[in-house]
Amino acid sequence: MGDQIIMFISQIFNGLKIGSVYSLVALGYTMVYGIIRLINFAHGDFIMVGSYVLMLTIPFIIACGLPAWLAVVPAILVCVAVGVIVEKAAYKPVREKGNNMTALITAIAMSLLLENGSQAIFGADYQTVPTIIQIPTLALGGLKIDGATILTVLLGLVIMVALQLFVKYTKQGKAMRAVSEDKEASILMGVNVNSTITLTFAIGSGLAAVASLMYCVSYPQVSPMMGAMLGLKAFVAAVLGGIGSIPGAMVGGLVIGVVESLTKAYIGTITAGVITSAFSDAIVFGILIIVLLVKPSGLMGEPESEKV
Amino acid sequence: MRLKCAEKLAALCLSAAMAVSVSACSGGNMYASSNDSSSIADNDVITIGSVTTNSGSAAAYGESEVNGFRLAIKEINENGGIFGKQVRLESMDDKGDVIEASNAFNRLAGEKNVIAVLGPTISSTSGAVAPLADQNQMPSIAPAATADSVETGGYLFRTCFKDSYQGQIAAKYAAENLKVNKVAVLYGTGDPYSSGVGKAFVAAAKKAGLQVVAEENSSSTDDTEYSSQLQKIEASGAEFLYAPYYYSAVGPYIVPQARAVGYDGYIMGPDGYDGLKTTGNKARYDKVLYTTHYSPDDKSNKKVQQFIKSYKDANDGESPNTFTALGYDSVYMFKQAIEQAGENATRADIRNAIAGMHFSGVTGEFTLDKQGSPEEIGHRAGDEERLADLQRHHPTGQVGRIP
Repeated sequence: MGDQIIMFISQIFNGLKIGSVYSLVALGYTMVYGIIRLINFAHGDFIMVGSYVLMLTIPFIIACGLPAWLAVVPAILVCVAVGVIVEKAAYKPVREKGNNMTALITAIAMSLLLENGSQAIFGADYQTVPTIIQIPTLALGGLKIDGATILTVLLGLVIMVALQLFVKYTKQGKAMRAVSEDKEASILMGVNVNSTITLTFAIGSGLAAVASLMYCVSYPQVSPMMGAMLGLKAFVAAVLGGIGSIPGAMVGGLVIGVVESLTKAYIGTITAGVITSAFSDAIVFGILIIVLLVKPSGLMGEPESEKV
Repeated sequence: MRLKCAEKLAALCLSAAMAVSVSACSGGNMYASSNDSSSIADNDVITIGSVTTNSGSAAAYGESEVNGFRLAIKEINENGGIFGKQVRLESMDDKGDVIEASNAFNRLAGEKNVIAVLGPTISSTSGAVAPLADQNQMPSIAPAATADSVETGGYLFRTCFKDSYQGQIAAKYAAENLKVNKVAVLYGTGDPYSSGVGKAFVAAAKKAGLQVVAEENSSSTDDTEYSSQLQKIEASGAEFLYAPYYYSAVGPYIVPQARAVGYDGYIMGPDGYDGLKTTGNKARYDKVLYTTHYSPDDKSNKKVQQFIKSYKDANDGESPNTFTALGYDSVYMFKQAIEQAGENATRADIRNAIAGMHFSGVTGEFTLDKQGSPEEIGHRAGDEERLADLQRHHPTGQVGRIP
């Protein structure tokens, strides 16, 4: 019986490992969506860009005698630059001329452009990322907990609180909320809508770079297509948690990860082998549908109150 | 009403027939190749087409194959070509897509001067091209399409061994060489390669008297997280894990995650492990093995070391992989077949020369099955002998280790 309990807790931590990465990615989705109501489908590909920057800069950082994780600094800079360029060059003109739908299609186009562009530059092959940090595994009796999981969850929580404080109490944060509530009215109130949106993108893209760091710690491999499925799962996490809600993104990511892990571990036993662990994705998306049917605004989303 | 329907149907059939005949005209000599016996004597150069996956998720395989084609063709041309004629490669990309592969293949088949086709790269596209090869009577060699379902033996042949064969070899190796009892298997149900090899392993393992203590799945082979399944495998007490995945999942994810949950037994897989890059602590990969078509450590086969040397010279010191080796051998199989078929060889002559050929290359020595009859399609008579042969060449029994 003791073994079973340890197994169960281990499986929850297995889920938290991937779930914490989903959370970090989902925070970026929710940030942008909360302000300009745009689902930035290229967000997963920003993670890819960040990961390539990490892969390329880590050898230099190590050669300079600095810890490898400092490669996140150039990654943030590049991601912010890419995010701001994408917003200025693609989303802004479309947003001004078209509607939400055209912006969404543009986001999908940007995603494809980034994927195929990086394939043209880096080639289609998978490349490994050098070891970033060696985090010891925590052993509590029979239970082994991956240190990277704990770190990712903690980092996610810190970012979540920081974002929440930023949006609630700073001037720029208030401007963001104003733009999200009513764009026209905030212009009348003297809010510079364009620079507010640019700042939102810069923060969202910077978060993508941080997410790529934690992703590469746990899954040290990059390829041009890596952002596609990751972005989709994180998007589902953001919707499950209530898109636009910062704590929702955090909760949504962790829930998706744990559900995934537990279905992989137990669905075969529960259904006597009828449904195998291969169905875990189907079950995760099935749960999303049920949650949205019962609570359309997601777990933490509150349609009446303000978002972000 | 019924009559009307029949009339409509007839009209529809007629218009469809017309459309087919029109497209047959406009599409060049798509169906004409049977009447028209274009031979290598008609042209000053011998053109071999290729349909490979040069973009998309399997692009690394296709690119490696093309490198192998180019190296072999360069060598052949430097040594005077085939019957004094230079060989030219007309390379097309199928993007790993069935429709793109079919279109590219039909286009090559429609070009009179293309005498043979190399490719496709992966099993799904090869399966789609197999009937087209027969229909167009275009001799084709798929270097690395290992799926059992690919119908070879007509005009399409392959250089590699079949998936089921890999599963059997692994089970045999586990029982006889590693002497383990409890084995586990993990495979991706959404991927025919992964599930095909995995199921073949389970069947062969049971036959070999091994105890299959855990059979776990993932929905795709692109997953990054396998810890949940690996944890269960660890708890099942398995000493040997068969995980038929691609190198992209095994290197960075499956092996480190298996070690992280405390599994320290053997991990074995099929030829998809080739190209695997280790991450972090190398000791984690000590007990990782795979069945392979080609082993760079093979010192007994002179061709292998020669091939590695000339590839490195042509590619800035980069090492060739299995796909390069299979692509390289495929070109030499065509060369041997054309030379056997003679100076006036037509596509059909080349096909007949390939069927039943005995070939010795960098991926070993083997004999192709002579018959293309439906029951025996895809069957390689040489499989058993080939194993014996390869075991003679490789002391480890055709099993690669992670360098």
